[in-house]
Amino acid sequence: MHILIVEDDQVARDYLAKALRDVGHTVDVATNGLDGLQMASSMSVDLAIVDRMLPKLDGLALVQSLRATGRKMPVLILSALGDVDDRITGLRAGGDDYLTKPYHMSELLARIDALARRGDSGNAESNTKLKLADLELDRMTRRVTRNGKKIELTAREFQLLEFMMRHSGQVVTRTMLLEGVWDYHFDPQTNVIDVHISRLRQAIDKDFDKPLLHTVRGAGYSLREDE
Amino acid sequence: MDLAPRRSVSPDQRFLGVLDTSPFRIAIVYSIVFACGAAVLLGAVDFAVSQVVDGSTDNLIEAEVQGLREQVLVLSRGDFIELIEQRSQDQDVRGAVYLMVDPQLRPVAGNVPAWPKIAANEGKWIQFKVQVPFGDETREHEMRAQRFPLPGGYRMLVGHDVQERQDVKNLMMRGLIAAVVLTLLMGLGGGFWMGRRILAQAGAISAVATQIMRGDLSQRLPVRQADDEINTLAREINSMLDKIEQLTLGMRTVLDSAAHDLRTPLNRLQATAEGAINQLLPGSVERRVLERVTTEVEHMRSTLDALLRIALAETGTVAREPVDLSELVGSMVELYAPVGEERGILLESAVAAGARVQGSRQLLAQALANLLDNAIKFTPDGGHIRVLLRGTATEPEVVVEDNGPGIPADKREIVLGRRVRLDEARKFPGSGLGLSLVAAVTKLHGARLVLDDAAPGLRVSLKF
Repeated sequence: MHILIVEDDQVARDYLAKALRDVGHTVDVATNGLDGLQMASSMSVDLAIVDRMLPKLDGLALVQSLRATGRKMPVLILSALGDVDDRITGLRAGGDDYLTKPYHMSELLARIDALARRGDSGNAESNTKLKLADLELDRMTRRVTRNGKKIELTAREFQLLEFMMRHSGQVVTRTMLLEGVWDYHFDPQTNVIDVHISRLRQAIDKDFDKPLLHTVRGAGYSLREDE
Repeated sequence: MDLAPRRSVSPDQRFLGVLDTSPFRIAIVYSIVFACGAAVLLGAVDFAVSQVVDGSTDNLIEAEVQGLREQVLVLSRGDFIELIEQRSQDQDVRGAVYLMVDPQLRPVAGNVPAWPKIAANEGKWIQFKVQVPFGDETREHEMRAQRFPLPGGYRMLVGHDVQERQDVKNLMMRGLIAAVVLTLLMGLGGGFWMGRRILAQAGAISAVATQIMRGDLSQRLPVRQADDEINTLAREINSMLDKIEQLTLGMRTVLDSAAHDLRTPLNRLQATAEGAINQLLPGSVERRVLERVTTEVEHMRSTLDALLRIALAETGTVAREPVDLSELVGSMVELYAPVGEERGILLESAVAAGARVQGSRQLLAQALANLLDNAIKFTPDGGHIRVLLRGTATEPEVVVEDNGPGIPADKREIVLGRRVRLDEARKFPGSGLGLSLVAAVTKLHGARLVLDDAAPGLRVSLKF
């Protein structure tokens, strides 16, 4: 994937570029907003990571200009501001996701994967049936079966599983789950998400040989079929 | 529980609203005062006029009585009768009436048909009615007269038609009543009009004030060209708002640059440490040191987040939106219940539906999360926590109650300050900012935070 990084802080930029190259992406960098806008408009960029406060052209203005010229590639906004409303402003300006500094690289990589996937499987939202190995979820009838056997889930467990299935094969972080399933953007001091995941795991994996819900150490969770 | 929100204003309510305005009330009071004034004034005029007119009539009659008393002494009865007849016919003295009767009260001369049967002493004023021809009909006219005796048992009556005077008086009375009624009506009408004007202006002001309270500081009160009190007040409030907006914007800028200047180096530190960790063998001493560093960065980040959120809530620069508090409390309970269950803590809840507040959903969620975190942290295994949402739709109250150790009464004020951790709490993890954030968020939403004894345990109440 071709990723453009627009970031003025050199240390952060270099590390970000290296980490993305390490996982196999093609990376271009811009150190100010104007260069960033010019590169994003002229090259075929699959995804852009844009710092919010940039010299010459502000990150939000950059994203707005991109959207105004019809560029639809996913944009992840990085911010060193206060948060709470900043996140909303960032998403309103046309950003697809928002991450506050300092962030873990694992969080950023997980979010980029999710954004990229959203780009190339646009009809995933409208699919009524989700399937992974012998696990099936029907969004219309709200029925979940594994190996043909019906699994009883609470409404929230259903939403959680649906989110995990839509991101199957990817790493999903705890904050992504809290945002995506509960629509909360705060920092839980306790292991709230872990407890909910372990309940879901009880429900879908306990009576079956092959576990589907995996813990990814230091990052989050992943719903996938192990080869 | 009454959760029906009152929103729309029917025309009836708007009409009644005008009746409640101060201009309308002032107008009523003034119209009553003016009406009383008009009544007094007209009464006085009427009195003065009657004094003059009545007085002149009475003088006229008295002079005539005096003249006739003298005439009767010098004239023969026949001449006197002729004199009376002559005066009765005399068209120059309009309205004068005469009657001379014999001792059997039969009329002898004069223009009054019959002797009035009124028991009054001679020399006193009497009033009586006489049928007077008026075109083809007759009209009853009011007469005012004096009677006196004549020699030989004859008696004499001299009077005057006062009907015209009575008519004038009646007209004045009618005029007076009309004036009073008109004054009242005009006062009410004027008051109603002014009330509507004030209500319209006040309505516009309160609509803007609501938006300002929601955090939109760019709103200003509507100001008209006129220089009346309301416009002057609105202008002054607007310049005050300018100042507040400047101040909050300044605070926001300071906060943003502080955030930026702290987050950027933290991010570099995190990047550098993470980058180095990946080059090191798992389990090596250097790697463990760097892992400690990233843990500390994480800790600093969470403290910084909490401090920034407190500062944001305190400056009140957070955007506000309608928040479904019932949904929020319900989903927070649902989020935390399994965490409690892990330790055998029962998280009970009673959440009334339909409660709404204006505010920040994310900050309210963070505050509730902190309260639930605390409750779970301090409740012993197997304990219980109760979460209640009660009160009315627009003034709900959220209560979180645990049966942990509670907070001693003398320390409840202190724990709301920043970074206060009571000695008993040091064995538990946490930044010590949890309750301060709850306090700041509560204040931002215009709610009241009360810590109380749940006997045993702590009861925290947020009253909106």
